[in-house]
Amino acid sequence: MKQPKTSLRVDWGHLALLLLICVVVVAYLLDTRATSLRINNLLLVQPTSIIALILAALVLPQCFRRKDAAEGATEEGDADPAKRETWRDLGKIAALSAAFGAFTVSLETLGFDAATFIFLALGTFICGERRLWVIALFSGIFTAAIVYGYQLLVPYPFPLLVM
Amino acid sequence: MPGISITMAMAIFLPMTLYMDFLPAIIFLTSIYTGAGFGGAVPAVLMNIPGTSSAVATTFDGYPMSRKGLHNEALGLGLGASVIGCLGSYILLLFLIAPVANVVLKMGPLEMFAVAVWGMLLLGSLTGSSMSRGMLAGVFGVLLGTVGTNTAGYTRGTMGIDWLFDGIPVIPAMMGLLAVSQLLNLINTNYLIEDEASRGISFKRILKGVKLTFTYPTIMLRGFTIGVTIGAIPGVGSSISNLISYSETKRNAPDGDTFGQGNPKGVIAAESANSSSEGGAMATMLALGIPGGGATAILLAAFAMHNIVGGPSFIANNKDIVYAIIFSNFAQAVLLLGIGLGFCYLASSVVRVPLRFLIPAVMVVSAFGSYAIQGTLSGPITLFVFSVLGWAMVRYQYPVAAAVVGLLLGTLLEENLIRTWQITRGDVSYVLERPGAMLIIALMVVSMGLTSFSQWRRKRREAAAALSAEEAGS
Repeated sequence: MKQPKTSLRVDWGHLALLLLICVVVVAYLLDTRATSLRINNLLLVQPTSIIALILAALVLPQCFRRKDAAEGATEEGDADPAKRETWRDLGKIAALSAAFGAFTVSLETLGFDAATFIFLALGTFICGERRLWVIALFSGIFTAAIVYGYQLLVPYPFPLLVM
Repeated sequence: MPGISITMAMAIFLPMTLYMDFLPAIIFLTSIYTGAGFGGAVPAVLMNIPGTSSAVATTFDGYPMSRKGLHNEALGLGLGASVIGCLGSYILLLFLIAPVANVVLKMGPLEMFAVAVWGMLLLGSLTGSSMSRGMLAGVFGVLLGTVGTNTAGYTRGTMGIDWLFDGIPVIPAMMGLLAVSQLLNLINTNYLIEDEASRGISFKRILKGVKLTFTYPTIMLRGFTIGVTIGAIPGVGSSISNLISYSETKRNAPDGDTFGQGNPKGVIAAESANSSSEGGAMATMLALGIPGGGATAILLAAFAMHNIVGGPSFIANNKDIVYAIIFSNFAQAVLLLGIGLGFCYLASSVVRVPLRFLIPAVMVVSAFGSYAIQGTLSGPITLFVFSVLGWAMVRYQYPVAAAVVGLLLGTLLEENLIRTWQITRGDVSYVLERPGAMLIIALMVVSMGLTSFSQWRRKRREAAAALSAEEAGS
């Protein structure tokens, strides 16, 4: 009897994450070995890296699913969060992440007050607030409160632009 | 507040104690120690932010409880467990301060390594739906935890970045993995608790949570025994005790499968252990003059500021002061209950804030908190990198908690493994010369054996029940 043809569906996002983990592990192992081949250097890192790569090999097949099985899982209401997000949701997450990344690297160059105000305004907009006066008021009050509060408590200086 | 650790809170007020007498100064600082210890549970429960490493396990069930609308009860449980844990640990300390000190003196690198391995066994209970993904997350965390200069002086994985020489900043990494990654996933949600009726703030329900703590005496007792014992070990302390207590409670609970989904026992286990670690750390500090962590180091600094030398002779010469410190902690625990109830009530209002404001606000607080730890951009950048990594891990069902545990234990594992290697040169029989290590290993084996046995028995009982139901049906 002829078996029905089943094609594989690749979970590209998962595959990319797994590849990233493997690249980091291999790069770290190579860097560690390049530093020194003495036991005091490799005792934990080398065996742990090898275990990580073995585990990654075990996870790899989970990035590929038979198309019929994948469809069945979706019909049953798969709990996988990756299946529930739309491209619009992903776009919002990417925008907020990018804004957060820019915020963290610009804290010292732009000043904590200005960077915080801009990030809060952008963040609340990305998260769904559309009233501009609310965005401006919230960002302003929160920026003032947090900068003042942390300045009182923390011994390090916070570079500021306006405050 | 994230980033304002117990140590930092104590350090901020240390200069103020210079103008006090010795005893009031120490009591003032230990009050901050007690209060801040519980304070870490509040953002852990409400926002999944472990402000300190000792509150990591509190997030595992505390935050899911909040998402279910049980935030009042979760905070009450945390408060109740903290108060009882603190009281219990100081009662133990009252009677056991001398024996605890003797035990601590016998702890070597092998024993510390065994304790860290015990912490790693928690990975088994954090693996989630896929064992292989869970183990990979944990092992990856361990590797990241070893980045930087190790105890033998070798520097690896820094990519030429200066601040990585000291390793990856753990607190920002934890905040990124656990908190900010979750916030990114909540971007399309309106409130932390979807059901409007469950969003209420109720003093009665917080009290109900506190009362609920008393119905789990075994978990409490286990928690503060683990807390005092592990807390007494210098350099290990509360960051591991809460994980071990959580893992042991999960293993032994008949409803262990529901841990991580908002089981109150998880919150009690974590909070009872981390609050009682204070008693253990104080025992080491008072009996031996060894600071187990940053907080006890500040206390020793306060000793020095008052021209008092801590160390083995301190207890013998100052029994009255030692017992005054212990008794004052009983009062602090009772005060914590009152102040904590009010604080929990106020803090609960965070569930009423729309997420479109809360998400960017918490991200900003996390960034400020991570900057506050070292005063450089290393914290915020680490926070960002681990937020994105954490989001990807959550998306593909890798348990981020396992990565956090690995990250916390990586340095400790390597440090003590290297020291053990340096002492033994690989001679396994050295274990036989270390009764402490043998005891810890035996406890681990017995605990795992008993758990496997009870699981096997439960499965057999369930299978038998299913079979008899089938027979009755036919």
